[in-house]
Amino acid sequence: MLQVDHASVFFAARDGRTVHALDRVSFNIPERGIVVALGASGCGKSTLLNAIAGFLPLSEGTITLDGRSVSRPGADRGVVFQKDSLLPWKSVVDNVALGLQFAGLGRRERRDRAFELLRLVGLTDFANAFPYELSGGMRQRVGIARALAPDPDILLMDEPFGALDSLTREQMQELLVSVWARTDKRIFFITHSIEEALFLGTELLVMSPRPGRVVARFELDFVHRFAASGDTKSILASPEFTNLREEIRAILHNADDFRSAA
Amino acid sequence: MSDIIEARPITASQREAEPKLVRMPSFGVADKPTIAISIGAAIACLGLWWLVSRLGLVSHLFLPRPDEVWTQIGVVYRDGYAGASLSEHIFASLFRIVVAAAIAIVVGIPVGLLMGLNRWAKGILDTPIEFYWPLPPLSYLPLMIIWLGIGETSKITLLVLAMFAPICLSAQAGVRSLPLERVNAARSLGASRLQLFISIVLPSALPEILTGVRIAFGIGWGTLVAAELIASTRGIGFMIMSASQFLATDVVFVGIGIIAICAFAFTAGIRILEAVLVPWKGKL
Repeated sequence: MLQVDHASVFFAARDGRTVHALDRVSFNIPERGIVVALGASGCGKSTLLNAIAGFLPLSEGTITLDGRSVSRPGADRGVVFQKDSLLPWKSVVDNVALGLQFAGLGRRERRDRAFELLRLVGLTDFANAFPYELSGGMRQRVGIARALAPDPDILLMDEPFGALDSLTREQMQELLVSVWARTDKRIFFITHSIEEALFLGTELLVMSPRPGRVVARFELDFVHRFAASGDTKSILASPEFTNLREEIRAILHNADDFRSAA
Repeated sequence: MSDIIEARPITASQREAEPKLVRMPSFGVADKPTIAISIGAAIACLGLWWLVSRLGLVSHLFLPRPDEVWTQIGVVYRDGYAGASLSEHIFASLFRIVVAAAIAIVVGIPVGLLMGLNRWAKGILDTPIEFYWPLPPLSYLPLMIIWLGIGETSKITLLVLAMFAPICLSAQAGVRSLPLERVNAARSLGASRLQLFISIVLPSALPEILTGVRIAFGIGWGTLVAAELIASTRGIGFMIMSASQFLATDVVFVGIGIIAICAFAFTAGIRILEAVLVPWKGKL
């Protein structure tokens, strides 16, 4: 279980003022859970992910992963970035194998393992290509495979599909669900797309900015339905889905109005 | 709601003639070919040179004809010049510049990387480097002679000082240009500090470092003639200076030509090295 307990973050802004980026956020990610943080930019969702990844220390509160306190980055938490951060001088398969290289595995062994992961994300044909030869969607698939390579306990995804066109984005969401169903990884996923949040999450945290905090929570099961049926269309068109979408849209707009009024 | 007028997929009709190919006009030079123009310009320059010297517009003492310079290459190659053969002159210059480059690279890259990574290193070394590197090498040449004498040491030290700065500064710039996300990605994949340095920092800085080395060689050739002013008996720079004292303009031209060819060859070599080592440069 990943436990985030009363996590708060204060930044020092350039003009000397204090920015309250994250305000007492608490939630858990159970085994096989996908927790999605949804919100407009500035709502602290990336700050939250950076803290869980260990890139950023908390001002207050604690984060523990299976009982161990999180204080620095580690191979037990795989991160997929918004902008892919693949190494341009390494081929796709060697990029995927990077974490295994750090772990000291032999070249042959890590290539075999990386190949398996490329099969999982459907990119075996491009194993020897270089990142600059790939499209945005393919790069993010490499990013996912790379994050999975050290067999982390949880996958942290920071708006990984935000820069993709909507068709590719849908394909990537379906791919992610199939990867999740096959690997049983816990996932913490950040997005500003309501549809994406509803489709992927087992739990949804709706966040609002200044200070970044959780304003609503939902338990979801669309992702289970998709994993069972593979039928995206009927899920997205179901009244349950559309009603919830409008409800969340209203919450986000209210949070926004509240902020402008204040 | 809009009405659907036609829902059939539109298929391309058969065409008989080859289609006219169009492209978006680019702005500036972009990647339009310039090689033919450059070759034409070079031939025009040679032609102008030949014409000016042939017609006697400039005194023969100042401007020899191209064919005389060509002949002089043969003479200098056969007989040598000022007590040394042509290959000895070339070897002396190459030796100095290569040794100086090796020292500047071996020292400059680690120092530059360290300055990019460590606050103390940057703070301490910034002042002396920023102070000395804009100075023209000729201005501290007398100091080199006073401190290090007139042997090879002072010449090579002068070259090292001239070549060190661009390499060191480019290594620093290489570290600075490293995206934080790349570092964070590696750390979350379990990289130790050493692994981070070897697998991420070093290769990320490599394109900038190679650019620095290329610039350093340019500056190095420029400084070489100055270095060989110090009581030399060998070297292309010495050959040029010696020839100028006898108004042997054709030999001066031969020397200039040799330096140009050497400098061009080094630049081309480093460009090839860049193509092999950093083929991804500018692509991601």
